[in-house]
Amino acid sequence: MRGRGTGEGGRVMRASVAIAALFVFVFALPVPLPASPFPQDTSAGKAVYQKWCAGCHGDNGAGDGPGAKHMIPPPRDFTGAIYQIRSTPSGQLPTDADLLRSIDEGLFGTAMPGWKTRLSDRQRRDVLAYIKTFSSFFADTTQRPQPIAYGSAPGGGGGAEALKVGRQFYDSIGCRKCHGDQGRGDGPSAPTLKDDAGHPIFAANLHENWRFNGGGTVEDIYHRLRTGLDGTPMPSFSDLLEQKFLTDEQLWRVAQYVRSLSPQEPPVVRDVVHVPLAKRLPHSPDDSAWTAVDVYWFPLVGQIIHKERWFAPAVTGVWVKAVHTADSIALRVTWDDRSASPDTSWLPFIGRVLNTLDSDDSTREQPAPWPDQLAVQFPVTIPSGMERPYFLMGSAGAPVYQWRWSSSSRTAAVAGLARGIDRFDPLGAAAGIPTQAVYDHGQWRVVFTRALASADTASQLPFRSGRAIPVAFFAWDGSNGEHGTRMAISTWYFLALDEPVPARVFISPVLAMVLTLGLGMLVVWRAQQKTSYRKGRQ
Amino acid sequence: MTGRIFNVVGAMFLLTVCSKGSQSNAAPAAPPPAPAAASDLAAAGGTITGKIKFTGTAPRNPAIDMSEEAACKAKYTTTPTEENVVAGPANALANVFVYVKSGLPAGQTFPAPATPVVLDQNGCRYHPHILGVMVGQNLEIKNSDPVLHNIKAIAKKNRPFNVSQPNAGMTKTVTFSQPEVMVNLECNVHGWMHAYAGVRSDPFFAVSQQDGSFTISGLPPGTYTIEAWHEKFGTQTATVTIAGTESKTANFTFAAH
Amino acid sequence: MRAYLRHPFWQAVGLFVLAYLVIVFVIPMLPGSAMVPSSVVLQYMATVLVGILIWVSDDEARWTTFKEPLHEVLIQPRLKLVRNGLLAAVTLVVGCLTYSQVKASVAAPPNLRSIHPAPPSQITFRGKTITLVGLENPLRKQGELAPHVAEGRRIYYQNCVPCHGDHLDGQGHFASGFNPLPANFQDNGTIAQLTESFVFWRIAKGGPGLPREGTPWNSAMPAWEDFLTEDEIWSVVLFLYDQTGWKPRTWEVTAK
Repeated sequence: MRGRGTGEGGRVMRASVAIAALFVFVFALPVPLPASPFPQDTSAGKAVYQKWCAGCHGDNGAGDGPGAKHMIPPPRDFTGAIYQIRSTPSGQLPTDADLLRSIDEGLFGTAMPGWKTRLSDRQRRDVLAYIKTFSSFFADTTQRPQPIAYGSAPGGGGGAEALKVGRQFYDSIGCRKCHGDQGRGDGPSAPTLKDDAGHPIFAANLHENWRFNGGGTVEDIYHRLRTGLDGTPMPSFSDLLEQKFLTDEQLWRVAQYVRSLSPQEPPVVRDVVHVPLAKRLPHSPDDSAWTAVDVYWFPLVGQIIHKERWFAPAVTGVWVKAVHTADSIALRVTWDDRSASPDTSWLPFIGRVLNTLDSDDSTREQPAPWPDQLAVQFPVTIPSGMERPYFLMGSAGAPVYQWRWSSSSRTAAVAGLARGIDRFDPLGAAAGIPTQAVYDHGQWRVVFTRALASADTASQLPFRSGRAIPVAFFAWDGSNGEHGTRMAISTWYFLALDEPVPARVFISPVLAMVLTLGLGMLVVWRAQQKTSYRKGRQ
Repeated sequence: MTGRIFNVVGAMFLLTVCSKGSQSNAAPAAPPPAPAAASDLAAAGGTITGKIKFTGTAPRNPAIDMSEEAACKAKYTTTPTEENVVAGPANALANVFVYVKSGLPAGQTFPAPATPVVLDQNGCRYHPHILGVMVGQNLEIKNSDPVLHNIKAIAKKNRPFNVSQPNAGMTKTVTFSQPEVMVNLECNVHGWMHAYAGVRSDPFFAVSQQDGSFTISGLPPGTYTIEAWHEKFGTQTATVTIAGTESKTANFTFAAH
Repeated sequence: MRAYLRHPFWQAVGLFVLAYLVIVFVIPMLPGSAMVPSSVVLQYMATVLVGILIWVSDDEARWTTFKEPLHEVLIQPRLKLVRNGLLAAVTLVVGCLTYSQVKASVAAPPNLRSIHPAPPSQITFRGKTITLVGLENPLRKQGELAPHVAEGRRIYYQNCVPCHGDHLDGQGHFASGFNPLPANFQDNGTIAQLTESFVFWRIAKGGPGLPREGTPWNSAMPAWEDFLTEDEIWSVVLFLYDQTGWKPRTWEVTAK
């Protein structure tokens, strides 16, 4: 109903208001600002809570609002006063500042948004006061949460030596048991994890620090190591310092090592994958030729458009690289997945996932060892205008061309036409796409290769350079209960195959520069002429 | 430091509402008996003994796959199993927590023993699997395995906690501030590791032995509701009246399922 | 230093830089505002530039003083280094800009999209024909409003939150996966501009029911007639207006 256009319009609007507000502010500066902090008003907080929070957290704060069974992790149950993100030791209540931070910033990687820009200071403080009334623990005045005193991170955190120390203690204090050898949340204990209420919980994928519930900085990570995440399997490691099994610096090194696993900045979506021209096609996922190729990230979200909807996808995004030669293209899709499904050790976990979520289906499905899958989708031909098939697997009248790869047959993807989410017609073995796949410590890397030209140009997209070719991705994590329509989906993005660079690319800038320089010199010369002329007349 | 955390938690015990089962919550106004009185009672009071059995076939305890933890695996000669149902000869049922659910005079308080209850993590299992501990009494949790354990308490009336013990020789002392049957203790690294702590504000509780027997002694005269709790089979209650220093019997029979 | 502060040229430069800093750094810090997009920054800076030029040229003497340093750079022998430096810099910038323009780069096709396409006069809802023209929300005439709003709230949280968000601002936790972004009902450009029958149509028919100018192939909006009944959709419509405080546009009496 509203495109990015209006979004910008909205921001323009806000920006204009902000400018106006700035002027008002500048002129009104001598007026003293109201005293802060505000007193907390639980009855005002109740009104705010019921309007904005109860939909997920429930009228009685038990984390059982109407939205609760459509998200994992589920909303916080306030009645037990057990909070993950605290500055206090494990078992203690959070401070007001801790709670306010979660309200303000939200919990990254979950459905909890930040309310800082959505509610006023007063409303947020009031609602904080009201949330505390759900548990008698807060009424107990002898409960004085004491924040742990933290030092600051020791220097040299990004250096190889520091990271080596961090890695050493990552192993020795057992992080890998849940978070895995490479930190992708695929440790041996990962399938058994559940929260206090028995809901399934993933060990964090340490390569996605933008999804860490309490924030992704080195400090945030260190704080979580000290306090633990109460209510979850993540324990506090403070006792190690007190009992001298670890120095504070070593714990900081662990935090720095964990931070180093994620990119400097969260990935930004770039709509067009540029596919460079190469002399040789890398067929293997770990071919060294891939290192020089630019990588693109695309977020995936739950398929909540068609029955059966899926509200808790496990695959959060795909990393894509592609190269082409004069006659072929290789596309490498990389994604993090905590298990190489089918994996029967995850069956109880699937059961917990299915139990936690409400389903469109009236009969609750039984867990089964489903495989992991990935689909790459193109239109059947490159569209000339902006019109293209429906992004969610086409429609009966306008099919899409898909490559469907499954972990149960890793060496080839099935090519076929999808005519809507529930109809896929394979094109036959001859049209199959050769793939090479590796599963490596919580990550799939799959290379699809195909000739640019196709035998059947009406149904198998012929790739052409210099054109934006729509592409979309779909992923299934079998060990999260995903199969059929229960999957993670993307919207349309584009592939653009580079053409050989034409000469005009180098000629035009040179011409422009010559012209500019000439014009500039002319201006200077004229100005100097005029002056000397005037001087001459004097 | 660890003590301090839980001292704070302990202090909370006065205010938190205890909804079911415990009438023994201290009412500060009532005159507490002298601390010595309780130990006198223990020596002189009545005794409840009994045997706990089950009918039917006990479910098999699942075998534990310790292949990920060589150090734990090495401590066993045969494949270790979980301890969900520990049966003795002739359908005797061990690991049942038996306690006085109600009947103690309101306002009577009992001092916590100075000796701690020890919970040992050894061979990637908890020893003991079921334990009783008094409010305010130290529970000493130690790690005898050279592997990471985290010890997590899931509680409703007490504050939960979750701390890690990645090294052998680490200890953690905690206290509980409210009676609660049961506080679940678990290790998330080893999904099979579960222990249960019955937290009482009086000393009248016991855990059934391998032969299913238990003894609660030192009970003052009165009529009591005795509850037996088993992790798989649920609870059973019995009413027992004690007059003087007599010994009464209360047997419980659970239906296996 | 003071001479520089009084000089109209340096004043103009100072103002220009200050305006840039305010727009780029200060505005995003104000509560309730967001990062100013670069296209908007460009617009603002152009406005500021024009304003500054009007100001300096408003007074003849000021205009002359303003031009002085520029002129100096062009002719003064002692400023030869600056002059040549500027020439070289401008030339290089032009070269780079031209290169980035002509370099073969395939952009995503423009996504020209009608935000509120004209609705059909009638739709078929699960086989039943509903005339949209002049259609009012029937629930507004069915007793107390509050129970209907409560029902709408339940349905919203069970179905709409992942995209449209807890704050109804189109920033749910799945929103970033879609293009176009989910509608922001808090914005004065969406439901505030629409009749309830339009909103009903958009919910009932979703993305696939959009006309071509609405780019139906991109929209992730489900066709909710597959999930919800007519009354359920109307109750969600009520909730959207109730929660945001907007009033729906009403049909002119003559339109009936």
